[in-house]
Amino acid sequence: MSGIAEFLLGQVRARVLSVLFLHPGKALHVREIARLTGSSPGSLHRELRSLGDAGLLLRSEIGRQVHYQANEASPVFAELAGFLRKTLGVADVLREALSGLGDQVTLAFVYGSVAAGTETAGSDVDVMLLGSAGYADAVRAFAPAQQVLGRDVNPTPMSIDEFAKRLKEKQGFAVQVAMSPRIWLKGEENDFAELVAHRKAQGSRLKAQGARRNGA
Amino acid sequence: MKNLLAAIERNLRDAAVTEISDETRFDAAYKAVMQCALAAMLSSGYRPSTSEPGHHATLIQSLPLTLGLPDQAWIVLDALRRRRNANDYTGDIVTPDMVEECRAQGRQLQDALLRHLKKNHRALLAG
Repeated sequence: MSGIAEFLLGQVRARVLSVLFLHPGKALHVREIARLTGSSPGSLHRELRSLGDAGLLLRSEIGRQVHYQANEASPVFAELAGFLRKTLGVADVLREALSGLGDQVTLAFVYGSVAAGTETAGSDVDVMLLGSAGYADAVRAFAPAQQVLGRDVNPTPMSIDEFAKRLKEKQGFAVQVAMSPRIWLKGEENDFAELVAHRKAQGSRLKAQGARRNGA
Repeated sequence: MKNLLAAIERNLRDAAVTEISDETRFDAAYKAVMQCALAAMLSSGYRPSTSEPGHHATLIQSLPLTLGLPDQAWIVLDALRRRRNANDYTGDIVTPDMVEECRAQGRQLQDALLRHLKKNHRALLAG
């Protein structure tokens, strides 16, 4: 996923924007941005000035230090922040942690405030894990990610059948998760749509596919 | 101390009852976990200020010091604490898997606590 942002924006610009847009309201000194993005302050000055001219960043001078922060008043702020959140932010770190659980997880996504972009400083990252992973294993797998993110990760592992059943019974939690925005870590929206569709209908569709395959 | 040990056993038994909801079973198992941590702390001569916010976190953090709990177990216990909080205040879900994990952690802590008391504080068990 990080590949998409770096492919479209270039590595340096993608990193600069993610550092500033994923922490809006926080003004950073140029040298600090350089440190966080792993680039040299010299080349960064020009990049930051251009982004400022484009209206994406706000420049301020505190004493002799130049600070930059994301311009939340920019008409594309929400879209750009959302794009970066999905490609470079939390998702990357979580995906790496998730790989430790391997095949035990079929579908995984972030839901709740972090996925909706309404998180506060103390918000947990809520992660839904559909498959066979157990709770304790999931907690341990995400423990290193908590340190990187500076946020607690709150995993909820459940089998696909169990989730589908709770959804069918219109249980509060499952419905809420199904309705809320998602950031995909493993699998994609189509897989989920299939799951959410009536299991009966799903069964008949799979049967129909099987029949077609047999006929061909 | 005897009362506390009896309460731990009672809560773990309650948590094993399958006729009640996962949330209530989880609560009972979680209570046993906290009581184990409390008993271990008291036996070491400390008393947590239970009227202050964050004393559950403090109790869990004390377990490596009182019962020599490994980090891996501590990580799971802290997650259970947050889950309990989220369940109480935001209606976050408790799954059967979490109930079993909380019960297993409670039993393990109970074992570790009893071993610790037998070895280091025999007088407390007698009194």
